[in-house]
Amino acid sequence: MIEIGRLAIKTAGRDAGCKCVVVEILDNNYVLIDGGTRRRKCNIIHLEPLNEVIKIKKGASHEEVNAEFKKLKLEVRETKPKETKDRPKKVRKEKKKIEEKGDKGKKKAKKEGKKKSEVKKEEKLSDKLTKEGKKNK
Amino acid sequence: MPAPNKRSRTFRRVYRKVPGGKTVLHYKKRKPSKAKCGKCKAILKGVPRERPYKMRTMAKTKKRPERPYGGALCSKCTREVFKEKARSKK
Ligand SMILES: [Zn+2]
Repeated sequence: MIEIGRLAIKTAGRDAGCKCVVVEILDNNYVLIDGGTRRRKCNIIHLEPLNEVIKIKKGASHEEVNAEFKKLKLEVRETKPKETKDRPKKVRKEKKKIEEKGDKGKKKAKKEGKKKSEVKKEEKLSDKLTKEGKKNK
Repeated sequence: MPAPNKRSRTFRRVYRKVPGGKTVLHYKKRKPSKAKCGKCKAILKGVPRERPYKMRTMAKTKKRPERPYGGALCSKCTREVFKEKARSKK
């Protein structure tokens, strides 16, 4: 039953239920199939042969098999190569910059704080002086 | 004594090791029954037996074999189905 050009249905695995054609006989157990399934090696136990036979060469290419399948109006599986998408790359923030920024900010804050406190002290001093002046008056 | 509703065996008991080094007893709801073939009632392989909240977090490909009728029929029955289909077309 199994010969080159024999139509069959795959009964096991991911391609189960898909029609395919035997393209090449590899050894006693394995054949190369193509058509409705992916082009792949397959154990003959996993094939259920049909009555029809297509005329194809031994080791026919995927395009030749496709053309034959389209004549019979059978489904053809076209596998596209995966498109490589541009992913947004993660950019690591440089630690040094952040630290510098943080330090600067802190320093500024400290400076400002100092200034403020100094200013307050001065004010207090001035207040005291004025009060003393009033008392003296 | 555990709480009255946890004294019966409606909850399953799970020993958990906590970060402090102790082993503590946790009470969890029981798992559902195993998935079975729709044709021959055999237990399906590759279908996890988990509560719905855990099934929801799993990927689709982790919950059933990736073939037609995967997760519904066993591999033997799918083969028979496809063989019958092929033979009826002759
Ligand atoms: Zn079954």
